[in-house]
Amino acid sequence: MVLSITDAYLQYGASVMAVQGCSLHVGEGELVSLIGQNGAGKSTLVKAVMGQVPLHSGTITVDGHSVSDRGFSTVRKRVSHVPEDRGIFASLTVGENLRLGGITRKDKAGLARDIERELERFPVLRKYWSRGASLLSGGEQQQLAIARALLLDPRLLLLDEPTLGLAPIIVDLIFDVVVQLREEGMTILLVEQNAVRSLEVSDRSYVLQAPGKVLGSGSAAELGELPAVVEYLGFSPAEVGVTR
Amino acid sequence: MILEFLISAVGLGALYALLTIGVALLFGVLGLMNFAYGEIILAGAFAMYLFRDQPWLVALLMAIVFAVVVALLSERLAFHPLRNADPVTLMIASFAVSLAIQSLARMTVLPRTRGVAPEDFLAHRVDLLGADVSVLDLLTLALCGTMLVAVAWMMGRTSLGIQLRAAAEDFQMASSLGVRANLVIPSAFVTVGVLAAVGSAVLVARQGAVSADMGLQPMLIGVVGAVLGGMSSLKGAALGGFLLGAATALLESLLPTDLIAFRDAFLFSALIAVLVVRPQGLLSGAKVRVS
Repeated sequence: MVLSITDAYLQYGASVMAVQGCSLHVGEGELVSLIGQNGAGKSTLVKAVMGQVPLHSGTITVDGHSVSDRGFSTVRKRVSHVPEDRGIFASLTVGENLRLGGITRKDKAGLARDIERELERFPVLRKYWSRGASLLSGGEQQQLAIARALLLDPRLLLLDEPTLGLAPIIVDLIFDVVVQLREEGMTILLVEQNAVRSLEVSDRSYVLQAPGKVLGSGSAAELGELPAVVEYLGFSPAEVGVTR
Repeated sequence: MILEFLISAVGLGALYALLTIGVALLFGVLGLMNFAYGEIILAGAFAMYLFRDQPWLVALLMAIVFAVVVALLSERLAFHPLRNADPVTLMIASFAVSLAIQSLARMTVLPRTRGVAPEDFLAHRVDLLGADVSVLDLLTLALCGTMLVAVAWMMGRTSLGIQLRAAAEDFQMASSLGVRANLVIPSAFVTVGVLAAVGSAVLVARQGAVSADMGLQPMLIGVVGAVLGGMSSLKGAALGGFLLGAATALLESLLPTDLIAFRDAFLFSALIAVLVVRPQGLLSGAKVRVS
Protein backbone atom coordinates (compact mmCIF):
# COMPACT_ATOMS: atom_id res chain seq x y z
CA MET A 1 0.00 0.00 0.00
CA VAL A 2 1.23 3.51 -0.79
CA LEU A 3 -1.14 5.23 1.64
CA SER A 4 -2.65 3.51 4.61
CA ILE A 5 -4.92 5.23 7.13
CA THR A 6 -6.03 3.05 10.04
CA ASP A 7 -8.59 4.03 12.68
CA ALA A 8 -7.55 7.68 12.46
CA TYR A 9 -8.92 10.27 14.87
CA LEU A 10 -8.14 13.85 13.89
CA GLN A 11 -8.76 16.83 16.08
CA TYR A 12 -8.91 20.57 15.35
CA GLY A 13 -8.05 22.68 18.38
CA ALA A 14 -8.99 21.38 21.81
CA SER A 15 -12.47 20.05 21.20
CA VAL A 16 -13.46 19.49 17.56
CA MET A 17 -12.87 15.86 16.54
CA ALA A 18 -13.32 16.23 12.77
CA VAL A 19 -12.52 12.61 11.90
CA GLN A 20 -13.39 9.68 14.16
CA GLY A 21 -12.05 6.26 13.36
CA CYS A 22 -11.47 6.47 9.61
CA SER A 23 -9.60 3.72 7.77
CA LEU A 24 -8.70 3.74 4.10
CA HIS A 25 -5.99 2.46 1.81
CA VAL A 26 -4.60 3.47 -1.57
CA GLY A 27 -2.56 0.93 -3.48
CA GLU A 28 0.20 1.49 -6.02
CA GLY A 29 -1.14 2.98 -9.25
CA GLU A 30 -4.67 3.25 -7.89
CA LEU A 31 -7.01 6.20 -8.28
CA VAL A 32 -9.11 6.32 -5.14
CA SER A 33 -11.70 8.99 -4.47
CA LEU A 34 -13.14 10.30 -1.24
CA ILE A 35 -16.76 11.28 -1.63
CA GLY A 36 -18.89 13.05 0.92
CA GLN A 37 -20.72 16.21 1.83
CA ASN A 38 -19.18 19.36 3.26
CA GLY A 39 -17.84 18.69 6.73
CA ALA A 40 -17.50 14.95 6.22
CA GLY A 41 -13.78 15.22 7.02
CA LYS A 42 -12.35 14.63 3.52
CA SER A 43 -9.99 17.62 3.41
CA THR A 44 -9.01 17.06 7.05
CA LEU A 45 -7.80 13.58 6.15
CA VAL A 46 -5.71 14.94 3.29
CA LYS A 47 -4.23 17.63 5.53
CA ALA A 48 -3.38 14.97 8.10
CA VAL A 49 -1.43 13.04 5.46
CA MET A 50 0.50 16.27 4.81
CA GLY A 51 1.12 16.69 8.55
CA GLN A 52 -0.97 19.84 8.68
CA VAL A 53 -3.53 18.37 11.10
CA PRO A 54 -2.18 16.38 14.04
CA LEU A 55 -3.12 12.74 14.44
CA HIS A 56 -4.94 12.22 17.75
CA SER A 57 -4.86 8.45 17.49
CA GLY A 58 -4.61 5.74 14.86
CA THR A 59 -1.97 5.56 12.15
CA ILE A 60 -1.28 7.15 8.80
CA THR A 61 1.56 5.70 6.77
CA VAL A 62 3.05 6.43 3.36
CA ASP A 63 4.99 3.49 1.97
CA GLY A 64 4.99 2.01 5.46
CA HIS A 65 6.44 5.11 7.15
CA SER A 66 4.28 6.85 9.74
CA VAL A 67 3.59 10.53 9.06
CA SER A 68 3.78 11.06 12.86
CA ASP A 69 7.39 9.94 13.01
CA ARG A 70 10.01 12.57 13.71
CA GLY A 71 11.84 13.23 10.50
CA PHE A 72 9.01 12.07 8.25
CA SER A 73 8.91 14.43 5.29
CA THR A 74 6.15 14.46 2.71
CA VAL A 75 8.65 15.98 0.31
CA ARG A 76 11.19 13.19 0.78
CA LYS A 77 8.37 10.65 0.46
CA ARG A 78 7.27 12.51 -2.67
CA VAL A 79 3.72 13.26 -1.58
CA SER A 80 2.28 16.12 -3.64
CA HIS A 81 -0.72 18.05 -2.43
CA VAL A 82 -2.99 20.27 -4.49
CA PRO A 83 -4.98 22.00 -1.74
CA GLU A 84 -8.56 23.14 -2.00
CA ASP A 85 -7.49 26.79 -2.33
CA ARG A 86 -4.86 25.73 -4.93
CA GLY A 87 -1.97 27.26 -2.93
CA ILE A 88 -0.77 29.36 -5.84
CA PHE A 89 1.79 32.02 -4.97
CA ALA A 90 0.12 35.14 -6.29
CA SER A 91 3.25 37.28 -6.15
CA LEU A 92 5.22 34.83 -8.30
CA THR A 93 5.00 34.29 -12.04
CA VAL A 94 3.66 31.08 -13.56
CA GLY A 95 7.23 30.01 -14.36
CA GLU A 96 8.43 30.71 -10.82
CA ASN A 97 5.51 28.74 -9.36
CA LEU A 98 6.45 25.81 -11.58
CA ARG A 99 10.14 26.03 -10.66
CA LEU A 100 9.15 25.80 -7.00
CA GLY A 101 7.41 22.51 -7.74
CA GLY A 102 10.76 20.94 -8.57
CA ILE A 103 12.83 22.83 -6.00
CA THR A 104 13.99 19.67 -4.23
CA ARG A 105 14.93 17.76 -7.37
CA LYS A 106 18.59 17.19 -8.12
CA ASP A 107 18.10 15.86 -11.67
CA LYS A 108 17.92 19.20 -13.45
CA ALA A 109 17.72 17.60 -16.90
CA GLY A 110 14.84 15.42 -15.74
CA LEU A 111 13.13 18.44 -14.23
CA ALA A 112 13.47 20.44 -17.45
CA ARG A 113 11.98 17.49 -19.35
CA ASP A 114 9.10 17.24 -16.88
CA ILE A 115 8.40 20.98 -17.06
CA GLU A 116 8.19 20.61 -20.84
CA ARG A 117 5.82 17.64 -20.40
CA GLU A 118 3.53 19.68 -18.13
CA LEU A 119 3.58 22.61 -20.56
CA GLU A 120 2.44 20.16 -23.25
CA ARG A 121 -0.29 18.92 -20.94
CA PHE A 122 -1.38 22.45 -19.96
CA PRO A 123 -0.58 24.71 -22.97
CA VAL A 124 -2.07 27.74 -21.23
CA LEU A 125 0.86 27.67 -18.78
CA ARG A 126 3.37 28.04 -21.61
CA LYS A 127 1.38 30.96 -22.97
CA TYR A 128 1.38 32.73 -19.60
CA TRP A 129 4.84 31.59 -18.40
CA SER A 130 5.99 35.10 -17.47
CA ARG A 131 2.64 36.35 -16.26
CA GLY A 132 1.91 36.93 -12.57
CA ALA A 133 -0.03 33.96 -11.20
CA SER A 134 -2.55 36.31 -9.60
CA LEU A 135 -3.66 37.31 -13.11
CA LEU A 136 -4.73 33.77 -14.06
CA SER A 137 -8.35 32.68 -14.02
CA GLY A 138 -9.50 30.08 -11.49
CA GLY A 139 -9.26 27.27 -14.05
CA GLU A 140 -5.78 28.36 -15.14
CA GLN A 141 -4.66 28.53 -11.51
CA GLN A 142 -5.92 24.98 -10.96
CA GLN A 143 -3.95 23.78 -13.98
CA LEU A 144 -0.88 25.52 -12.58
CA ALA A 145 -1.42 23.93 -9.16
CA ILE A 146 -1.68 20.43 -10.66
CA ALA A 147 1.31 20.94 -12.98
CA ARG A 148 3.40 22.23 -10.07
CA ALA A 149 2.41 19.25 -7.91
CA LEU A 150 3.43 16.84 -10.69
CA LEU A 151 6.91 18.38 -10.90
CA LEU A 152 7.81 16.83 -7.53
CA ASP A 153 7.61 13.55 -9.49
CA PRO A 154 5.17 12.36 -6.86
CA ARG A 155 4.76 8.88 -5.52
CA LEU A 156 1.33 9.91 -4.21
CA LEU A 157 -0.79 12.78 -5.53
CA LEU A 158 -3.44 14.29 -3.25
CA LEU A 159 -6.05 16.29 -5.15
CA ASP A 160 -8.40 18.22 -2.88
CA GLU A 161 -11.56 19.42 -4.64
CA PRO A 162 -9.76 20.17 -7.93
CA THR A 163 -12.94 21.18 -9.76
CA LEU A 164 -14.49 23.33 -7.03
CA GLY A 165 -16.00 26.50 -8.47
CA LEU A 166 -14.78 25.91 -12.01
CA ALA A 167 -16.67 26.25 -15.30
CA PRO A 168 -18.00 22.96 -16.78
CA ILE A 169 -15.48 23.01 -19.64
CA ILE A 170 -12.61 23.30 -17.15
CA VAL A 171 -14.14 20.57 -14.98
CA ASP A 172 -14.06 18.29 -18.05
CA LEU A 173 -10.43 19.23 -18.68
CA ILE A 174 -9.41 18.51 -15.07
CA PHE A 175 -11.14 15.12 -15.09
CA ASP A 176 -9.49 14.32 -18.44
CA VAL A 177 -6.13 15.06 -16.85
CA VAL A 178 -6.98 12.89 -13.83
CA VAL A 179 -7.82 9.99 -16.16
CA GLN A 180 -4.61 10.63 -18.10
CA LEU A 181 -2.58 10.49 -14.88
CA ARG A 182 -4.33 7.28 -13.82
CA GLU A 183 -3.40 5.73 -17.15
CA GLU A 184 0.21 6.85 -16.64
CA GLY A 185 0.19 4.78 -13.42
CA MET A 186 0.10 7.65 -10.91
CA THR A 187 -1.20 6.84 -7.42
CA ILE A 188 -3.92 9.37 -6.64
CA LEU A 189 -6.24 10.19 -3.77
CA LEU A 190 -8.99 12.42 -5.14
CA VAL A 191 -11.29 14.39 -2.86
CA GLU A 192 -14.42 15.45 -4.68
CA GLN A 193 -17.99 16.54 -4.08
CA ASN A 194 -18.88 15.71 -7.65
CA ALA A 195 -19.75 12.10 -6.79
CA VAL A 196 -20.86 10.97 -10.25
CA ARG A 197 -17.71 12.15 -12.03
CA SER A 198 -15.51 10.76 -9.25
CA LEU A 199 -17.12 7.34 -9.40
CA GLU A 200 -16.72 7.37 -13.19
CA VAL A 201 -12.96 7.84 -13.11
CA SER A 202 -11.92 6.07 -9.88
CA ASP A 203 -10.78 2.49 -9.37
CA ARG A 204 -12.33 2.58 -5.90
CA SER A 205 -14.13 5.14 -3.78
CA TYR A 206 -14.75 5.73 -0.10
CA VAL A 207 -18.01 7.40 0.90
CA LEU A 208 -17.46 9.48 4.00
CA GLN A 209 -20.04 10.73 6.47
CA ALA A 210 -19.37 13.29 9.19
CA PRO A 211 -17.35 13.00 11.33
CA GLY A 212 -15.03 11.14 8.97
CA LYS A 213 -16.71 7.75 9.17
CA VAL A 214 -16.51 5.44 6.18
CA LEU A 215 -20.05 4.57 5.13
CA GLY A 216 -18.91 2.24 2.39
CA SER A 217 -16.09 1.60 -0.04
CA GLY A 218 -15.42 -0.21 -3.29
CA SER A 219 -15.95 0.21 -7.00
CA ALA A 220 -19.00 2.10 -8.25
CA ALA A 221 -20.77 -1.21 -8.82
CA GLU A 222 -19.96 -2.44 -5.30
CA LEU A 223 -21.11 0.83 -3.74
CA GLY A 224 -24.39 0.53 -5.62
CA GLU A 225 -25.12 -2.62 -3.66
CA LEU A 226 -24.85 -0.84 -0.29
CA PRO A 227 -28.26 0.62 0.65
CA ALA A 228 -26.78 3.06 3.20
CA VAL A 229 -24.45 4.48 0.54
CA VAL A 230 -27.18 4.74 -2.08
CA GLU A 231 -29.41 6.53 0.43
CA TYR A 232 -26.58 8.91 1.43
CA LEU A 233 -25.63 9.70 -2.17
CA GLY A 234 -29.24 9.96 -3.27
CA PHE A 235 -28.62 7.76 -6.31
CA SER A 236 -27.33 4.37 -7.31
CA PRO A 237 -24.22 4.56 -9.53
CA ALA A 238 -25.78 2.21 -12.05
CA GLU A 239 -28.89 4.42 -12.30
CA VAL A 240 -26.79 7.39 -13.42
CA GLY A 241 -24.84 5.29 -15.89
CA VAL A 242 -21.68 4.71 -13.83
CA THR A 243 -20.68 1.11 -14.33
CA ARG A 244 -16.93 1.21 -13.68
CA MET B 1 16.51 73.31 -6.96
CA ILE B 2 14.19 70.65 -8.42
CA LEU B 3 17.06 68.23 -9.06
CA GLU B 4 18.40 68.82 -5.55
CA PHE B 5 14.97 68.09 -4.11
CA LEU B 6 14.51 65.02 -6.30
CA ILE B 7 17.82 63.50 -5.22
CA SER B 8 17.01 64.20 -1.58
CA ALA B 9 13.46 62.81 -1.84
CA VAL B 10 14.35 59.70 -3.84
CA GLY B 11 17.34 59.03 -1.56
CA LEU B 12 15.27 59.27 1.61
CA GLY B 13 12.56 57.19 -0.05
CA ALA B 14 15.10 54.50 -0.95
CA LEU B 15 16.45 54.52 2.64
CA TYR B 16 12.95 54.11 4.08
CA ALA B 17 12.20 51.39 1.51
CA LEU B 18 15.22 49.42 2.78
CA LEU B 19 13.94 49.74 6.33
CA THR B 20 10.42 48.59 5.45
CA ILE B 21 11.60 45.57 3.44
CA GLY B 22 13.46 44.42 6.55
CA VAL B 23 10.26 44.55 8.57
CA ALA B 24 8.00 43.00 5.92
CA LEU B 25 10.36 40.14 5.06
CA LEU B 26 10.39 38.72 8.59
CA PHE B 27 6.68 39.35 9.00
CA GLY B 28 5.97 37.36 5.87
CA VAL B 29 8.37 34.49 6.42
CA LEU B 30 8.00 34.05 10.16
CA GLY B 31 4.80 35.91 11.07
CA LEU B 32 7.14 38.04 13.17
CA MET B 33 6.59 41.74 13.76
CA ASN B 34 10.20 42.26 14.76
CA PHE B 35 10.51 45.14 17.19
CA ALA B 36 14.16 44.12 17.68
CA TYR B 37 14.83 45.35 14.13
CA GLY B 38 15.93 48.66 15.64
CA GLU B 39 18.63 46.90 17.62
CA ILE B 40 19.96 45.19 14.47
CA ILE B 41 20.30 48.72 13.09
CA LEU B 42 21.95 49.71 16.39
CA ALA B 43 24.52 46.91 15.96
CA GLY B 44 25.44 48.28 12.53
CA ALA B 45 25.57 51.83 13.85
CA PHE B 46 27.82 50.78 16.72
CA ALA B 47 30.22 49.20 14.23
CA MET B 48 30.26 52.51 12.31
CA TYR B 49 31.24 54.20 15.60
CA LEU B 50 33.79 51.53 16.59
CA PHE B 51 35.53 51.63 13.22
CA ARG B 52 35.13 55.37 12.72
CA ASP B 53 38.89 55.80 12.24
CA GLN B 54 39.00 53.20 9.48
CA PRO B 55 38.15 53.94 5.86
CA TRP B 56 34.40 54.39 5.50
CA LEU B 57 33.98 51.29 3.34
CA VAL B 58 35.75 49.16 5.96
CA ALA B 59 33.40 50.53 8.62
CA LEU B 60 30.43 49.73 6.37
CA LEU B 61 31.67 46.18 5.90
CA MET B 62 32.04 45.76 9.67
CA ALA B 63 28.56 47.22 10.16
CA ILE B 64 27.22 44.47 7.88
CA VAL B 65 29.10 41.83 9.89
CA PHE B 66 27.85 43.18 13.24
CA ALA B 67 24.24 43.54 12.10
CA VAL B 68 24.15 40.09 10.48
CA VAL B 69 25.64 38.48 13.59
CA VAL B 70 23.09 40.17 15.88
CA ALA B 71 20.26 39.25 13.49
CA LEU B 72 21.35 35.59 13.36
CA LEU B 73 21.91 35.40 17.12
CA SER B 74 18.44 36.79 17.79
CA GLU B 75 17.03 34.17 15.41
CA ARG B 76 18.98 31.30 16.95
CA LEU B 77 18.52 32.23 20.62
CA ALA B 78 15.09 33.85 20.72
CA PHE B 79 12.99 33.13 17.65
CA HIS B 80 14.14 29.64 16.64
CA PRO B 81 12.75 28.03 19.84
CA LEU B 82 9.46 29.87 19.15
CA ARG B 83 9.22 28.91 15.50
CA ASN B 84 5.70 27.50 15.77
CA ALA B 85 4.46 30.02 18.32
CA ASP B 86 1.60 32.38 17.55
CA PRO B 87 2.38 35.90 16.25
CA VAL B 88 1.58 37.58 19.56
CA THR B 89 4.14 35.44 21.39
CA LEU B 90 6.70 36.21 18.70
CA MET B 91 5.97 39.92 18.93
CA ILE B 92 6.39 39.92 22.71
CA ALA B 93 9.63 37.97 22.34
CA SER B 94 10.87 40.60 19.88
CA PHE B 95 10.09 43.32 22.47
CA ALA B 96 12.16 41.38 24.98
CA VAL B 97 15.06 40.98 22.54
CA SER B 98 14.86 44.68 21.70
CA LEU B 99 14.94 45.79 25.34
CA ALA B 100 17.66 43.29 26.24
CA ILE B 101 20.03 44.42 23.48
CA GLN B 102 19.28 48.09 24.10
CA SER B 103 19.88 47.74 27.87
CA LEU B 104 23.05 45.76 27.27
CA ALA B 105 24.33 48.46 24.94
CA ARG B 106 23.43 51.18 27.46
CA MET B 107 25.16 49.34 30.32
CA THR B 108 28.33 48.59 28.39
CA VAL B 109 29.41 50.35 25.24
CA LEU B 110 26.85 53.12 24.76
CA PRO B 111 25.95 54.63 28.18
CA ARG B 112 25.55 57.97 26.44
CA THR B 113 25.30 59.33 22.92
CA ARG B 114 28.58 59.06 21.03
CA GLY B 115 29.44 61.49 18.28
CA VAL B 116 30.70 60.17 14.97
CA ALA B 117 32.35 62.94 13.01
CA PRO B 118 31.15 62.86 9.43
CA GLU B 119 33.68 61.76 6.86
CA ASP B 120 35.22 64.72 5.07
CA PHE B 121 33.95 63.62 1.70
CA LEU B 122 30.37 63.50 2.99
CA ALA B 123 30.44 67.15 4.04
CA HIS B 124 31.15 68.35 0.48
CA ARG B 125 28.66 69.64 -2.01
CA VAL B 126 28.99 69.13 -5.73
CA ASP B 127 27.61 70.80 -8.79
CA LEU B 128 25.36 68.37 -10.67
CA LEU B 129 23.74 69.66 -13.86
CA GLY B 130 23.71 73.14 -12.35
CA ALA B 131 22.25 72.03 -9.03
CA ASP B 132 24.12 72.31 -5.73
CA VAL B 133 23.80 68.77 -4.31
CA SER B 134 25.22 67.40 -1.06
CA VAL B 135 27.46 64.33 -1.33
CA LEU B 136 25.56 62.84 1.62
CA ASP B 137 22.31 62.96 -0.37
CA LEU B 138 24.06 61.43 -3.38
CA LEU B 139 25.55 58.69 -1.20
CA THR B 140 22.16 57.96 0.38
CA LEU B 141 20.62 57.65 -3.07
CA ALA B 142 23.46 55.60 -4.55
CA LEU B 143 23.85 53.22 -1.61
CA CYS B 144 20.18 52.63 -0.88
CA GLY B 145 19.32 52.53 -4.59
CA THR B 146 22.04 49.94 -5.20
CA MET B 147 20.81 47.87 -2.27
CA LEU B 148 17.23 47.99 -3.56
CA VAL B 149 18.38 46.87 -7.01
CA ALA B 150 20.46 44.09 -5.40
CA VAL B 151 17.51 42.93 -3.27
CA ALA B 152 15.19 43.07 -6.29
CA TRP B 153 17.71 41.00 -8.28
CA MET B 154 18.13 38.47 -5.48
CA MET B 155 14.39 38.15 -4.94
CA GLY B 156 13.53 37.93 -8.63
CA ARG B 157 16.43 36.06 -10.19
CA THR B 158 17.77 33.59 -7.68
CA SER B 159 16.32 30.35 -6.38
CA LEU B 160 16.72 31.61 -2.81
CA GLY B 161 14.84 34.79 -3.66
CA ILE B 162 11.93 32.85 -5.17
CA GLN B 163 11.83 30.63 -2.08
CA LEU B 164 11.90 33.69 0.20
CA ARG B 165 9.04 35.32 -1.69
CA ALA B 166 7.02 32.11 -1.67
CA ALA B 167 7.66 31.59 2.06
CA ALA B 168 6.75 35.21 2.78
CA GLU B 169 3.42 34.67 1.02
CA ASP B 170 2.38 31.23 2.29
CA PHE B 171 4.89 29.47 4.49
CA GLN B 172 2.92 26.24 4.86
CA MET B 173 2.43 25.78 1.12
CA ALA B 174 6.08 26.62 0.46
CA SER B 175 7.14 24.03 3.04
CA SER B 176 4.93 21.39 1.47
CA LEU B 177 6.76 21.99 -1.83
CA GLY B 178 10.12 21.46 -0.15
CA VAL B 179 11.17 25.01 0.71
CA ARG B 180 13.23 24.42 3.86
CA ALA B 181 12.52 26.51 6.95
CA ASN B 182 16.13 26.06 8.05
CA LEU B 183 17.26 27.71 4.82
CA VAL B 184 14.77 30.52 4.30
CA ILE B 185 14.42 31.74 7.89
CA PRO B 186 18.15 32.28 8.56
CA SER B 187 18.50 33.67 5.02
CA ALA B 188 15.75 36.16 5.78
CA PHE B 189 17.57 37.24 8.95
CA VAL B 190 20.86 37.62 7.02
CA THR B 191 19.07 39.73 4.39
CA VAL B 192 17.51 41.83 7.14
CA GLY B 193 20.93 42.24 8.78
CA VAL B 194 22.50 43.49 5.53
CA LEU B 195 19.62 45.91 4.89
CA ALA B 196 19.76 47.19 8.47
CA ALA B 197 23.55 47.67 8.26
CA VAL B 198 23.35 49.74 5.10
CA GLY B 199 20.51 51.74 6.66
CA SER B 200 22.54 52.27 9.82
CA ALA B 201 25.57 53.51 7.86
CA VAL B 202 23.44 56.11 6.14
CA LEU B 203 21.70 57.08 9.40
CA VAL B 204 25.00 57.53 11.25
CA ALA B 205 26.33 59.65 8.40
CA ARG B 206 23.18 61.81 8.45
CA GLN B 207 22.87 62.10 12.25
CA GLY B 208 26.56 62.19 13.19
CA ALA B 209 25.88 60.28 16.41
CA VAL B 210 25.17 56.83 17.82
CA SER B 211 23.02 56.10 20.87
CA ALA B 212 21.49 53.02 22.46
CA ASP B 213 17.95 53.99 21.45
CA MET B 214 18.78 55.14 17.91
CA GLY B 215 17.08 52.10 16.37
CA LEU B 216 13.62 53.08 17.60
CA GLN B 217 12.86 55.74 14.99
CA PRO B 218 13.99 53.69 11.93
CA MET B 219 12.17 50.62 13.29
CA LEU B 220 8.96 52.64 13.54
CA ILE B 221 9.52 53.98 10.02
CA GLY B 222 9.92 50.39 8.84
CA VAL B 223 6.70 49.26 10.52
CA VAL B 224 4.68 52.27 9.34
CA GLY B 225 6.01 52.01 5.79
CA ALA B 226 5.27 48.30 5.67
CA VAL B 227 1.72 48.83 6.97
CA LEU B 228 1.20 51.58 4.38
CA GLY B 229 2.42 49.44 1.48
CA GLY B 230 0.89 46.17 2.69
CA MET B 231 2.50 43.84 5.19
CA SER B 232 2.00 40.76 3.04
CA SER B 233 3.71 42.12 -0.06
CA LEU B 234 7.42 42.87 -0.26
CA LYS B 235 6.88 45.12 -3.27
CA GLY B 236 4.10 46.88 -1.38
CA ALA B 237 6.33 47.35 1.67
CA ALA B 238 9.10 48.84 -0.48
CA LEU B 239 6.59 51.16 -2.13
CA GLY B 240 5.16 52.18 1.27
CA GLY B 241 8.61 52.97 2.62
CA PHE B 242 9.57 54.87 -0.50
CA LEU B 243 6.41 56.99 -0.42
CA LEU B 244 6.90 57.69 3.29
CA GLY B 245 10.47 58.88 2.71
CA ALA B 246 9.62 60.92 -0.36
CA ALA B 247 6.65 62.52 1.46
CA THR B 248 8.91 63.37 4.41
CA ALA B 249 11.38 65.11 2.11
CA LEU B 250 8.53 66.86 0.29
CA LEU B 251 7.03 68.18 3.53
CA GLU B 252 10.43 69.37 4.74
CA SER B 253 10.82 71.35 1.53
CA LEU B 254 7.31 72.73 1.26
CA LEU B 255 6.24 73.45 4.81
CA PRO B 256 6.82 76.97 6.15
CA THR B 257 9.54 77.08 8.81
CA ASP B 258 7.11 77.49 11.72
CA LEU B 259 5.17 74.38 10.63
CA ILE B 260 8.19 72.10 10.12
CA ALA B 261 7.88 70.94 13.74
CA PHE B 262 4.46 69.50 12.82
CA ARG B 263 5.80 67.56 9.83
CA ASP B 264 4.98 64.18 11.30
CA ALA B 265 1.42 65.30 12.14
CA PHE B 266 0.83 66.07 8.44
CA LEU B 267 2.59 62.88 7.39
CA PHE B 268 0.66 60.54 9.64
CA SER B 269 -2.66 62.28 8.94
CA ALA B 270 -2.08 61.48 5.27
CA LEU B 271 -1.14 57.92 6.24
CA ILE B 272 -4.36 57.46 8.21
CA ALA B 273 -6.35 58.81 5.25
CA VAL B 274 -4.70 56.23 2.95
CA LEU B 275 -5.38 53.40 5.40
CA VAL B 276 -9.03 54.43 5.76
CA VAL B 277 -9.41 53.90 2.01
CA ARG B 278 -7.11 50.84 1.80
CA PRO B 279 -6.80 49.28 5.26
CA GLN B 280 -4.92 46.30 3.80
CA GLY B 281 -2.19 48.61 2.46
CA LEU B 282 -1.45 49.85 -1.04
CA LEU B 283 -0.33 46.59 -2.66
CA SER B 284 -1.54 43.94 -0.27
CA GLY B 285 -3.58 41.01 -1.44
CA ALA B 286 -1.50 37.90 -0.85
CA LYS B 287 -2.01 35.55 2.04
CA VAL B 288 -0.13 35.93 5.29
CA ARG B 289 1.09 33.09 7.44
CA VAL B 290 -0.79 33.21 10.72
CA SER B 291 1.13 30.66 12.72
